Amino acid sequence: MNVLRRPSGLSKFRFYSTQTTRPFVPPASLNHFDFRQRQREKPRPTSPAFYTARPEFYDQLSSLESALQHAKTALTSCHLLPLPQFAREALPPRVNAWVDKRELGLKLRSTLTTSRYRRVVLVLNELETYRAIAEKAGIAELQEGIRGITELFERADAATMLARGKAKPVKFDEYGRSYTLGKRKTSSARVWIVPVQQPPADKSTASQSIPAATETDTALTALLDPISSSKSNEPVSVSQILVNNTPLSTYFPIPADRARVIHPIKLAGLLGAYNIFAIVRGGGTSGQSGAVAHGIAKGLAAHEPAVATILRKAKLLRRDPRMVERKKPGLAKARKRYAWVKR
Amino acid sequence: MLTLSVRCQRVSCQLLASSSTSPLAQTRSYATQPKKGQIVKQASQGFKGKKNTPSGQMEHAKKDKKMMAFQPLPASQLPHPLFESDCPDTLALQSFHPEMLTRVVESQALKFPHNENDPFRIFGLPRNILVEFRLLSKPCSVIRSVTIDAISKLDAASDKNSKESRVVLTGPQGCGKSYLLLQALQYCNARDWLVLYIPRATNLVNSTTAYTYDMRTRTYSQPIFAYQTLQRFLKVNAPRLEQLRTQTEIEIERRPPVPPGTPLVELINIGLKDQGHAPTVLGAVLEEIGKQTIFPVLLAVDDFQALYCKSHYRDQHFSAIKSYHLSMPRLLLEYASGQKSFARGAVFGALSMSNTTFPLPLELREALSLEHDRPYGSYVKRQPELVEYAHGLERLAVPASLSVPEAASVFEVWMKDRAVPSKPNDELFLAKYSEASGNARAFVWKGLLSSMSA
Repeated sequence: MNVLRRPSGLSKFRFYSTQTTRPFVPPASLNHFDFRQRQREKPRPTSPAFYTARPEFYDQLSSLESALQHAKTALTSCHLLPLPQFAREALPPRVNAWVDKRELGLKLRSTLTTSRYRRVVLVLNELETYRAIAEKAGIAELQEGIRGITELFERADAATMLARGKAKPVKFDEYGRSYTLGKRKTSSARVWIVPVQQPPADKSTASQSIPAATETDTALTALLDPISSSKSNEPVSVSQILVNNTPLSTYFPIPADRARVIHPIKLAGLLGAYNIFAIVRGGGTSGQSGAVAHGIAKGLAAHEPAVATILRKAKLLRRDPRMVERKKPGLAKARKRYAWVKR
Repeated sequence: MLTLSVRCQRVSCQLLASSSTSPLAQTRSYATQPKKGQIVKQASQGFKGKKNTPSGQMEHAKKDKKMMAFQPLPASQLPHPLFESDCPDTLALQSFHPEMLTRVVESQALKFPHNENDPFRIFGLPRNILVEFRLLSKPCSVIRSVTIDAISKLDAASDKNSKESRVVLTGPQGCGKSYLLLQALQYCNARDWLVLYIPRATNLVNSTTAYTYDMRTRTYSQPIFAYQTLQRFLKVNAPRLEQLRTQTEIEIERRPPVPPGTPLVELINIGLKDQGHAPTVLGAVLEEIGKQTIFPVLLAVDDFQALYCKSHYRDQHFSAIKSYHLSMPRLLLEYASGQKSFARGAVFGALSMSNTTFPLPLELREALSLEHDRPYGSYVKRQPELVEYAHGLERLAVPASLSVPEAASVFEVWMKDRAVPSKPNDELFLAKYSEASGNARAFVWKGLLSSMSA
């Protein structure tokens, strides 16, 4: 038996196709057949960026750009784009805090070069501009949609970065005390300010038994006895000021230092309204008094924002930048020169 | 430093009105004009003695100048309209009457009475208060809650032995201890007590008055000071002393003994005739008034802590003489410690915390249970004599800060006297009160009088 011999029935078949065209089959007879798609040897690329060097990157970038395009069309349909110059200027200037190159590379799952990073940031800035326009115009949906995209690329500490250089708002604790810092020369003061609490009226019950005076009565008494009637029975509240746990007059014996500490409270017209406790360290007497005054001014501005403008005009909220000037070589002191000798 | 507004010529008006009896013009020197045959402290003379001036008067003139360092000008020398000499006084105060001193008049200013034999005028005043009274139109003070406390203590003490009422006024500098002592003094004087007031006990121990060693008592006697004290005591309490007589025989050196039944005025005059007898006579007089029960006695001493410090006197070995070895401080210490006492009366002392030459000593600090600012452990030396002299002293703490109504009265007094250079509104009051933290002296001197604001 020759095993290698092909069976006789198969000798007539060739294993390569010699027909170049398919036999014609009418479509009606094909309806009840279920043809399966031929498996391609090579799968179709999922994204059009498949053949680029960084497909993931270009995918992300194209999705961002398509989002930008959608936003642009939406705004154009609302007649918000193109925005005239005066409207552009009216928008608040936005400083953006996007993630850095490395972080963005992790997000986009590909290492970025600087030019690619810049390209992404450009798109993000445009998106942010459109978001600002939408926000200003009041289109909440669009604004939220864009926000959903841009917040993915914002730094975690974006708030802190943007607030750099701006004054932090003063916080109050559960008792309503403010805590502020004041500095002058080499002294620093920590100041706590709390509103003076008026004691509850003890004699409220006694006064209720006396019938309330009518207006004519009070006017008569004011006419007949002006001095005694002008004295009201309300207790006058006084500010207590403690510096390093000693009263102000004990800690600062010089009247000028005391007046410097009181000056912000006096200008604000809040004498008797707040009690002050300060811990001050460093420097000398006048430096310490200046530091306490600075801390008090900041604290009062926090308690009463209306007073902040007055204190700012009086330059009390400003940390006095004057410091001791250094000695220079060739000079006896910072400015003092040695005696000039002719020869 | 001090801005005198219209205040200066107010004082001068008063000076003109009562030039003869006003103490504000007279010399308050503690060494009066030496008479013939009396002990005189030798003034130091230079190599070239001054011509036409007797040696005894040189020191006197110098002291005059010192005491009159601040003296307001009389109105005749201030004709300029700026001084407003013709404007009437706006300060209308009620008089200090003992009957009206109740809680109702708390934080009201009352003026001190103007008498011939007023204890202030005769005994003198502490320096700060003297200057203040020269500035003000009338000597006045504000009645505080602590004044009422002190007065109630005095009322309680009027029937008891002075051993049980030995009170020391304590408090920080400038809180009003000397003023409170003055108010107590005036109250007792008005209530017909016998009063003896030492306004500056530092003058007893700072070697400004003569001292001689006495063999009999083995202490250093201070005859001139004793003489002056007798003189003033007699002048202030003359109507009461006339009613009293001695109860025992009194021995005085170089003289026959004084029999019992002698009027006390006569006994005092023995001391006034001869300065050498003055210390013995003073001791005897105090003992006699201590025995009687008709009038209670008040012994008031300002700068009380000076009695417990080492004096500035030197003995022949140049070591400092202890205060209890001097006759006058010893006498006061004996009454303050209860070793000698008055049958009816009290001993009141006021500390002076501003005096750096006579600071508060440890023994007194412990006796009054005050705060320590120096080492005070068991290895720090305490003098047993001073501990004994400080035993049983009662403390009356004067509050460190004026209350707002009291401060308002003080402000009103100075404002109405037109002594405040700034505009006197409530902002100034609150600002200066806060700056001074309620301290009375800081409020008036460093606050109101020393600063100008628009």
